[in-house]
Amino acid sequence: MPPHLRRSRAAAHPDDRHDPAAAVELRDVTKTYGRGDESVIGLDGVSECFRRGTFTAIMGASGSGKSTLLQSAAGLDRPTSGTVTLAGTNLNELSEDALTALRRAEIGFVFQGFNLMPSLTVLQNVLLPLRLAGQRPDHRRAEAMLERVGLSGFGHRHPSQLSGGQQQRVAIARALIADPEVVFADEPTGALDATTAEGILALLRGAVDHLGATVVMVTHDPVAAAAADRVVFLARGQIVGQLDHPDADLVARNLRELVAAAGGARR
Amino acid sequence: MNGLARASVRFRPASFAGTFVALLVASIVVMACGSLLQTGLTARIEPVRYADAPIVVAADQFTRRVIGNRDNREEIKAVLPEGARIDASLASDIESTRGVAAAVPDYAAPVSADRIGPLTGRDWSTRILDGRSGDLAEGAAPGPGEVVLEDASAATAGISLGDTVTITAADGPHQLRLSGTMADAPSDGSEPGAPTAWVPDGYAAELAGHPGEAEAIAVFAEPGADLDQVSSDLRAAVGPDVEVLTGSERGGVEAPSLPFARELLIGFGGSFGGVAAFAAMFVVLSTITLAVNQRNREVALLRAIGATPRQVRRMVATEALLVAPLAGAAGIVPGLLLARWWYDQLVERGAVPAGVDFATGPLPALAAIGAGLLAALAGGFAAARRPARTAPSQALGEAAVEGRSLSRGRWVAGAAFIALGSALSILTFQLDGDSAAVAAVGVVMIFLVAVALLGPAIARTATAVLGLPLRGGGAASSLAAANSTANARRLASAITPIALVVASSSVLLFIGTTVAQATEDDVRNGVVADHVVTTDGPGLPTGAVAQAASVPGVDAAVGILRTEVLYNGFEEFETADTIAVSGDPGALDEVLDLGVTDGSLADVGRGTVALDHLLARSLDADLGDTVDLRLGDGTIHEPKVVAIYERGLGLGQVLLPRDLLADHVRTAYTQEIFVSRSAGASPDHVAAGLQALDLPGASVTDRQGFSARVDGDLEIDAWSNRVMAAVFGGFASIAAVNTLVMVVLDRRREVALLRLTGTTRRQVRAMFRWEAAIVAATGVSIGGVIAVVTLTGFARAATDGLPSIPPLQGIGVLAVAIGLAFAAMALPSQALLRRQAHAGVE
Repeated sequence: MPPHLRRSRAAAHPDDRHDPAAAVELRDVTKTYGRGDESVIGLDGVSECFRRGTFTAIMGASGSGKSTLLQSAAGLDRPTSGTVTLAGTNLNELSEDALTALRRAEIGFVFQGFNLMPSLTVLQNVLLPLRLAGQRPDHRRAEAMLERVGLSGFGHRHPSQLSGGQQQRVAIARALIADPEVVFADEPTGALDATTAEGILALLRGAVDHLGATVVMVTHDPVAAAAADRVVFLARGQIVGQLDHPDADLVARNLRELVAAAGGARR
Repeated sequence: MNGLARASVRFRPASFAGTFVALLVASIVVMACGSLLQTGLTARIEPVRYADAPIVVAADQFTRRVIGNRDNREEIKAVLPEGARIDASLASDIESTRGVAAAVPDYAAPVSADRIGPLTGRDWSTRILDGRSGDLAEGAAPGPGEVVLEDASAATAGISLGDTVTITAADGPHQLRLSGTMADAPSDGSEPGAPTAWVPDGYAAELAGHPGEAEAIAVFAEPGADLDQVSSDLRAAVGPDVEVLTGSERGGVEAPSLPFARELLIGFGGSFGGVAAFAAMFVVLSTITLAVNQRNREVALLRAIGATPRQVRRMVATEALLVAPLAGAAGIVPGLLLARWWYDQLVERGAVPAGVDFATGPLPALAAIGAGLLAALAGGFAAARRPARTAPSQALGEAAVEGRSLSRGRWVAGAAFIALGSALSILTFQLDGDSAAVAAVGVVMIFLVAVALLGPAIARTATAVLGLPLRGGGAASSLAAANSTANARRLASAITPIALVVASSSVLLFIGTTVAQATEDDVRNGVVADHVVTTDGPGLPTGAVAQAASVPGVDAAVGILRTEVLYNGFEEFETADTIAVSGDPGALDEVLDLGVTDGSLADVGRGTVALDHLLARSLDADLGDTVDLRLGDGTIHEPKVVAIYERGLGLGQVLLPRDLLADHVRTAYTQEIFVSRSAGASPDHVAAGLQALDLPGASVTDRQGFSARVDGDLEIDAWSNRVMAAVFGGFASIAAVNTLVMVVLDRRREVALLRLTGTTRRQVRAMFRWEAAIVAATGVSIGGVIAVVTLTGFARAATDGLPSIPPLQGIGVLAVAIGLAFAAMALPSQALLRRQAHAGVE
């Protein structure tokens, strides 16, 4: 992975050809849940491109489809229609096993809670993606990753002995260990206090700046979004706006308008 | 995967313990039944009497038939209830064979003598088999009309040489002159039973009613003869219908009850063992499924991180491989102890002859471990299938809350099993007593599988129904209702074992009580005699009936000879209790009311038969049809049905003429004499008069007394059913408790959360009690419905009536099931509540 930054550019248009600089690209992705009268639209024809080496935040009111977007992009869920391309591969064409293998090698995932296997040590948790891929456990690499997230020496503890913030750090270490194409984070700071959240965001920022990682993060917190290069706003399953070089106030204002509009539309 | 598996096993000790217990109990059951099966299959008795005779020639004690058609022909066989005998003149053919030193025909004739009691009549030459070829204590060998008694017998009777002894055989008294006495037998304690009375060679067979026959011919070889050669020469000499036995095969001839004992052991070990093993596997499967489901979130996380479905399944399999062999091995010793206890009980109750060795070995142990392993793997795979396969996001979403509906596959499978169970239940109408019992247990198992498959749907329905009143109640009961509604799968895994306890115990217990009650009813209504003469000795001689009839005050006396005949059941022989009537056949109505519905008993004579209606239904025989029977010694007999009656249970399901049967039983003794009093005669006088006849071993009783005797015979069946119900019910109870404890202990977080939001300990306890009430009510209802449906089908088949459930036992089963549900939920919830309020919430 070439360790150079890429400046963010305007979002690619849906009818562009596949952008080789894209780590993940969604084209006209729709996801509906349920059947008939009870169907709920998660995503409604979303097209978006996340370029390599960028930090993108996805924001929106509850029910806007942010988590659905993340899960579709990460291959955790298959869209009802449309294509998702990751590292140049069309996810729709992959079998479940092949998709899993791809996920293992090219995607890191950080959840809001319950990130770690409670029965394993911190070190074993970090090494999990590699072990699942059948590789020999490289303890030095895991230790290095732990040091990077500021948890050197914690290798032999169990998740139950760590605080929330420390668990998130371990999750990030695990997400990064396979040197993935993209790291997806679903509200990683949602359950943390401001100071700890800052530390987590710094880690993610650092991964983008120094490791050339690509991070796509769903968040509801304007301060967290401000750490990103770009913010994408979602409402009712569609992308309704974006902001480059965000600052927290601007993001907060946009978000308020979105929420108000969403509330108005419902009335 | 190995490390993951080991780590997760270590991390969740309660789940591990639950799985371990389920597997342990399964292992115990399989080990115990397997040992009994092995004991039955290898049962043999070392010869005692024929120990010194290297070869014994005897008749085949089985009757055989080939069934099936061209491609799958199979030979079925059954033990002959009255045994088979050979022609004694074969002895001369045998003696002329090379290498044979002597051939001694052997016969044991059960007789009795005044003031001595039961005796065994034997030919003089056979004393070599007792090891008593030594000298007489007194006198000479018996000639025609003479007898030699044991010293002690003569002393007891107070007779000396030259006196006349009255030996009573089946055909009446024989006056024999005492020609000598034998020194008392050396006390080797190996031959219990009546003392011997030696008669001239060939006379023992006459006393037994089978002149010219022998039960066995003991063959002694010349010194240095090649036994194998002699055996094969003999086989050629005697032909294919006679058996030439060596080694421990000879023991089988000495103990005629051995084949029955083997069938009993094989039945316990094989049939019951099969069902118990099935139930054990069933419980292990559901326990493992529960254990895996409790870890749904972890599985979802693994899938999201990048574990393929196969890797998830491998992890589950590895866990099973860790736990199952341990539990299997741990169950071996307790299983052995259980089998040993069961076997000792059978010997003590006389169902298995002493001298049969209890056998066990590596096979039952391997079966125990293997079965557990198989079930654990199957259960793990089945449980891991859904979470392993679903897309991780779905799995993550579902992980916290249960999935909504049952997969279509489960609905279809559940419906199929219900249909199968119902079909089998209807099919049992066609079967008779024994087969119907086995089928009934099978029906229960099938319905229980259906319950397990449809569990969540049943649970949801139950909470919908029971939830209504609960939701209207206080906080605790509303919580209980809400919990049950939201967690239907969890609830279902708690309901199924309770249903198993109720259904299996009920069916096993009440199959026995139903048959017992019907038998008692038949005997009570069928025996209308005023007095019954029974005997503890070998039997009552032929003349006894006429003697009884001539007692003043007696209106009619009818003697009953009991035997068994064989008929063609479903792919095997079945036996039917058979009676023959001696005395005035017209007087039968006065002493026995068999409830004739078609035809007349008076028509029973040469070539005809009367049948109990249940047997007639099994044979699909109406008046005028011919039925295919084999008499107790294997003779084929095809009589025409001339009467059908209702009250055969406990009395006799087949009525044949006495003349016919007398030649085809071991000894043609009369077992009972039913006597009716003339109007105005005094009961005490008549009883005294009958007693005064001084028939060997006889006692005079009345109707009630006779019923009581019949009940005693049913005792061993009842005891067997109780043991099976206890083993099965005990196992099911352990499984139920195990599951419930696992379910409760897994709710640590939930309980902690409740406490933190302000629920008091008392309210939490009350919530658990309400949930236990839901589990108990649903489990008992389902189990009860299954039991009633199955028992009704069985009762129709076996007794043509309704099931008979003693209220005390019925309530007992319900009480145990309900108690289990409450105890198994209350105790672990207590453990959870004892901790600090915040513990458990990470």
